[in-house]
Amino acid sequence: MSDKSMIICRCEEVTYEELIETAEKHKCSARELKLRTRAGMGYCGGRTCRNMVESIPRQYLPNKEQLGLVTLKYQPPIRPVHFGDLGGDET
Amino acid sequence: MTNDVIIIGAGPAGLSAAITCAKHGMNVVVIDEYYKPGGRLLGQLYEEPDGSWWNGIKESDKLYNQAINSGVQLKLSVPVINIERQGTEWNVFTNMETLQANNLLVATGAAESPAPVPGWTLPGVMSVGAAQVMTNVQRVKPGEKGIIIGVNVLSAAIAQELKLANISVESMTLPKINSMNHDYAIPKNVVNSLLHVSHLSPSPIIKIGSNLMKYKLINKLALKFYPNKGIKMWDIPIQLKKAVTQIYGTDKVEGVTIANVDDYGQIIPKSEKSIEVDFVCISGGLYPLAELAAIAGCPFYMIEELGGYVPLHNERMETPLSGLFVAGNITGIEGAKVAAAQGTVAGLSIVNNTLNSAFEFELEEAIKQVRIIREENPIQFHPHIQNGRKKMQKYWNEYFANNQESFII
Repeated sequence: MSDKSMIICRCEEVTYEELIETAEKHKCSARELKLRTRAGMGYCGGRTCRNMVESIPRQYLPNKEQLGLVTLKYQPPIRPVHFGDLGGDET
Repeated sequence: MTNDVIIIGAGPAGLSAAITCAKHGMNVVVIDEYYKPGGRLLGQLYEEPDGSWWNGIKESDKLYNQAINSGVQLKLSVPVINIERQGTEWNVFTNMETLQANNLLVATGAAESPAPVPGWTLPGVMSVGAAQVMTNVQRVKPGEKGIIIGVNVLSAAIAQELKLANISVESMTLPKINSMNHDYAIPKNVVNSLLHVSHLSPSPIIKIGSNLMKYKLINKLALKFYPNKGIKMWDIPIQLKKAVTQIYGTDKVEGVTIANVDDYGQIIPKSEKSIEVDFVCISGGLYPLAELAAIAGCPFYMIEELGGYVPLHNERMETPLSGLFVAGNITGIEGAKVAAAQGTVAGLSIVNNTLNSAFEFELEEAIKQVRIIREENPIQFHPHIQNGRKKMQKYWNEYFANNQESFII
């Protein structure tokens, strides 16, 4: 198995190659990289791959001042939860 | 139902804060998503520099019993999914119910960063912390023979614990370099971080450190003279000139391919060989688990010495958000003793704020205590932790200089 086919985001099955190519092509922020590839947008909420998705764009950003400013956002619910528990009723 | 204080996280910080608040007559509830109290304390088992043993399970029991005896209410196996401020109260949403309190302490600790190498998604690959929990908490062997990828304070301590449990560890080694792991895949960087911790650390690192010291302190030289076969620690070779290039197996881990690397982590061609193992531990270190503080709207700063993005806070463990406190590893990666001392500070801060500054003296003393414990602590996850703490204080001062109004209401 090569580096290229190594899975980084398990939930959305996004490979290392896909992330590197996207970051290189678009010279984008971590947030844009996430939105373009869906890495970190699966059911675990990015708990496993978040740091990796955040670290990749650092090398490709032309303007280093952007570093540290644009980070991936957190939003609730921060743990997986049943729709029913979120406020649905039993019927 | 309304409580005086809600604490999220039943680790050393959360429980110490709970005990402090309860002893001062406050009504406290502690919530944790795990089914046992203690947090990361649970897995810890190591020898102190004085030869005594630190047993995390016993320490957890002590804190738990003290908390229960002081009247603290514990809710275990309950994940918090959201927090929100409404008027003067914090609403804490769990998967079951919503709780309210004027004071909220977020003591959610740290999470592990993985060290991905090709094949890391195979069954049998786990974070080093998972192997620790299996071995020390659940008493299940992660496998018969494993290898640890990622050489750091945490993985070295856990390697010893696996050894104590009679589990064979082939070696500790680096991951193959990629775009995400320069901090812990480049031998020069790894040696640098290990050398700085060596004089203070408990036995595992003292041994690595003092062995490296023999080869002169300057890290380039240390690496130059670092033996190719590694330095052994309780019969476990620490390989700083080798990296795992892939983990292989059909349905589960069957082995790893390991290669020699140069000082910059580049693979030396044709040096690969295979090693049969039935489990693999990966470790990219720890980072503060700060998602709840982020949702609450707390400002964040990237402070490398503290292990990542950390919510803005002062030495009283206050955040700029009224009634929101933080303590423990969410404020920076340090040992359990520092976390517990910070928890006591947070508890006293809450008591002091509630009772018209009647505990100012006790609070100041508790803050001093954190500094003393930090200086004496044998486990330093980052060599420049003190700098990190100073940076945070500077950010706090700047924040309040720029924002005339004191706390965000």
